[in-house]
Amino acid sequence: MEFLLENILNLVGFLVGLIIGIVSIIGYRNTGSPTLFRLAIAFCSISAGFFVIWTGYMVEDFVLKAGHLERWIQTLGIAIQTVGYFFIAFSHSIKSLFPKSRYFRSIGIFPLFLVSSVQIEHIFRSVSFILLAYGAIETTLSYLENRNKGAISVALGLSLLALGEFLGWYSFVFPESVLYFVSMIIKIAGLIALFIPVSKIPLTKIKFDESFD
Amino acid sequence: MVEYRTHMKIIGDILSTTRDDLQDEDGATVTYLIRKANVSHSRISRILSVLVSQGLLEKVDSQGSHKYKISQTGREFLQAYHKFSGFAINFGLTI
Repeated sequence: MEFLLENILNLVGFLVGLIIGIVSIIGYRNTGSPTLFRLAIAFCSISAGFFVIWTGYMVEDFVLKAGHLERWIQTLGIAIQTVGYFFIAFSHSIKSLFPKSRYFRSIGIFPLFLVSSVQIEHIFRSVSFILLAYGAIETTLSYLENRNKGAISVALGLSLLALGEFLGWYSFVFPESVLYFVSMIIKIAGLIALFIPVSKIPLTKIKFDESFD
Repeated sequence: MVEYRTHMKIIGDILSTTRDDLQDEDGATVTYLIRKANVSHSRISRILSVLVSQGLLEKVDSQGSHKYKISQTGREFLQAYHKFSGFAINFGLTI
């Protein structure tokens, strides 16, 4: 059951990320907006991250049949997703995430070489949680300003993804509990909530660039 | 509260003015655009020359003065701008 849910989650994540990423790319090609460029990077990264984990599960299930997913594949996928979450947060003007001092920046990388891949996964999950929570708060504030219904759906989606990420991280403490299962259900709901406003964008009358025809 | 406008929003305002809010059929003068789009003269001059070079606006010589009209490409750009502006607003962002 967990394997099936994991597959559904990663497939939904891959498709939702891909669709939003493509819409953002089309928007960037048509308007040249840097905001849409950042959104395109964000959602293409999220899509790629889910795709890596989904492919890992598929290969494991049909080729390797080892009974478990290689830890480094999971870590790689989550790392790529975290890049995407960073760009969502960055679009909301995060400018002080990285230490400004060159010294701090150089030692900031060190912990990644000193910890095991399991711990790196914990780090990425916790960073993802912070970025998603930030994005959700900013989107909620934006909703309070302009009362756009789509914004509340995206804010809900980001909140659910953040909660799912938190529960996914916390499930390492209780590995046999239902937490990881619940986290996957919540993340699937979050991805669907993210997709709802994007599905209502009427793209039919837009003249796309020739390269997209 | 004063609303911060992005460069893209200013371009959208200028194009919207030349499409929907013209004084006459010849186009809009720079003075008119400055008043409607609320941009300084030096800044709007730079933006207008870029928009003309990109084919979004057409420069018309009328009675010894320059006027600006939106082109077909400009109309398509404006349509895309409004649609993707709505898309970005869903994410709490402005393009």
